[in-house]
Amino acid sequence: MMVVRPVRPADLPALERLAGLATPSLTNLPAHRDRLEERIARSRQSFGREVDFPGDEHYTFVLEDLERDEVVGTATLRAEAGAREAYYTYRQETLIHASQQLNVRREVQTLSLSHEVSETTQLCALSLDPRYRGTSAESLLRRSRLMFIAQYPERFAEVLAMAFPGYLDEQGESPFWNSVGRHFFVRDYHDINYLAGVRSKSFIAEVMPQFPLYLALLTPQARAAIGREHPAHEAAMAEMLAEGFMRSRHVDLFDAGPVIKGERNRLHTFRHAAWHPVRVRPAHALPDAEPAMVANQRLADFRCVVARYALSPTGQLMLSPEHAELLGAEEGRAVLAAPLTLPSNGEEEAGFDEGEL
Amino acid sequence: MRIRPIAEGDLDELQKIARETGVGFTSLPDNREFLAAKIAAAVAAFEQRTPADRRNYFFVLEDEESGELAGCCAIEGQVGREVPFYHYRLGTLAHSSVQLDLHRTIDTLFLSSDHTGDAEVASLFLRPGFRGKERAHQRNGALLSMVRWLFMAEFRDQFPDKVLAEMRGVFDERGKSPFWECLGSHFFPLDFDEADRLTGLGQKSFIGELMPKFPIYTPFLSDEARACIGQVHHDTRPALAMLKKEGLRWEGYIDIFDGGPTVEAYIDDVRAVRKSHCCRVEIRSGSDTPPARPRWLAASTTMAEFRAAWVACGPDEEGTLTLSETEAQRLGVAAGDSLRVLDTEETS
Repeated sequence: MMVVRPVRPADLPALERLAGLATPSLTNLPAHRDRLEERIARSRQSFGREVDFPGDEHYTFVLEDLERDEVVGTATLRAEAGAREAYYTYRQETLIHASQQLNVRREVQTLSLSHEVSETTQLCALSLDPRYRGTSAESLLRRSRLMFIAQYPERFAEVLAMAFPGYLDEQGESPFWNSVGRHFFVRDYHDINYLAGVRSKSFIAEVMPQFPLYLALLTPQARAAIGREHPAHEAAMAEMLAEGFMRSRHVDLFDAGPVIKGERNRLHTFRHAAWHPVRVRPAHALPDAEPAMVANQRLADFRCVVARYALSPTGQLMLSPEHAELLGAEEGRAVLAAPLTLPSNGEEEAGFDEGEL
Repeated sequence: MRIRPIAEGDLDELQKIARETGVGFTSLPDNREFLAAKIAAAVAAFEQRTPADRRNYFFVLEDEESGELAGCCAIEGQVGREVPFYHYRLGTLAHSSVQLDLHRTIDTLFLSSDHTGDAEVASLFLRPGFRGKERAHQRNGALLSMVRWLFMAEFRDQFPDKVLAEMRGVFDERGKSPFWECLGSHFFPLDFDEADRLTGLGQKSFIGELMPKFPIYTPFLSDEARACIGQVHHDTRPALAMLKKEGLRWEGYIDIFDGGPTVEAYIDDVRAVRKSHCCRVEIRSGSDTPPARPRWLAASTTMAEFRAAWVACGPDEEGTLTLSETEAQRLGVAAGDSLRVLDTEETS
């Protein structure tokens, strides 16, 4: 059985292992023991704190495989992306240069530094043991965070954002970094990415070019990388677009990876999540049903699992004793459930954020 | 040979010059109407019928015996008054962080109109028949270049504090500007010559409309384009050397199309402006003995009847300039008149 729960101090070695497994390595999950230890401490404080509005809380979750007694995934929620410092992105913009004299109108593409994403809640630092890739556990790890937000809306922003690792070529080089950041830092992408994780990204951002960049002056390879996710994250991107997130005009400062945004009320999981009283039934007696994410109503003891969305005629959610115990939900207690499967393309068009978010 | 203001009757000759200058000399397009208007404006300027900040003083070098025009040069009273005048200013931005052990300075191009209101020396052209070894003793090029300092010194109150000169930038063997190819071509749906031609005609509004407004970090430019910044075309080196000798300096401003340098100075600091002075004219009879290499430059002190030419001798210790009859005639002066003279060989 797989369960998502808040991180504990004992998870440190597992977290360190997962940080090392991330492909490509993640800025917000550096394989650095002290930093990870701080993260765990910060997460525990955040879960324990009384919060009325989003601030600098970080909620870090782990995915545990109970059969193996092993932590095999982690993911984090940053209540406010730029709480203590600004969250920097490049915003893709279009300027019109028109000349009446020459009767021409040109669209000039630029990248401008932006702090606009600072006020969103960020879904970040997800790393999953590769053995679980493509399983329902991966979706659970990624989207159980939405189940948590749904229960504690006051702790999070209306708009959620997620930054995807950017495109790297076969040599593992970032064409965007090589055409942009490198001029200013004379350092390798992986170098700077690691530094950003260990220190902070914004203090590096402060040394980045402050004026907008004209795309026409970047290399074709760099231009092609703008807003393009790392190949290993294409499936994750597809899932979040199906969830209702939209590609935004924002891209990462270092590798130009895409930032997607979603208004809570428009996301599939929020719109379809529902409370159900629990009815415990033996596993073999449960009717067949679509899979669902099921979460309990606890804060520091938050649990989320994948179970069958089997409802009784009176709207009770039928759970096995094992799941009920795992969720700490005895008969009659309410749990939050939402379908794990998302509509495939067509039902909900993957849109493009034109700046209205 | 002498310098005088251009006149209505010079249109045919000016058009010949315009044909010879060809592409790249944008201020003299082979366009009769344009040239006629240019002459009319210049005549009005010398007669001081137009305001000082709108004047374009256009001079010609003539062979007063044959009446043939040998070349031309000009002074723009103030640039950027009617249409915007753009440059890039090459500046430095520091990107530094103690924690990152980083300290870099990035050369950056800032779009600028800093030179608005400055005077400009421009449009210098000497026809091929008046250049070269056989003509070297006439110092025609130096005459065209330096006459403008004497004019500005004499009519100092008609000019602003600063003067500039735009120098032609670097072009490769194919006649292409690497700077333009790398930068301007992305923003202008024209080729360089067309863009340059429109600029020469004074139709510059498209520049402001199409130019990138934000600074350009030079590391984003190609090596070839960066190498053009502040560099002059091979043929322009002598002209640049002459201006530098007068004290004009490159302060980091470049042409937005070809990256060529703009050199500048405070007019009062220009060597020829400082060193030139007025003398009373005496006239001696007798024949002319032109020097092997003229050294003294003389210019009249009236604007409408302005004349300038090399003279054989400089003023004596009392400050009297004694001219031959031919010289006096050439400069349109009589005994007792005054002239502004410059010793072009004097150092410092």
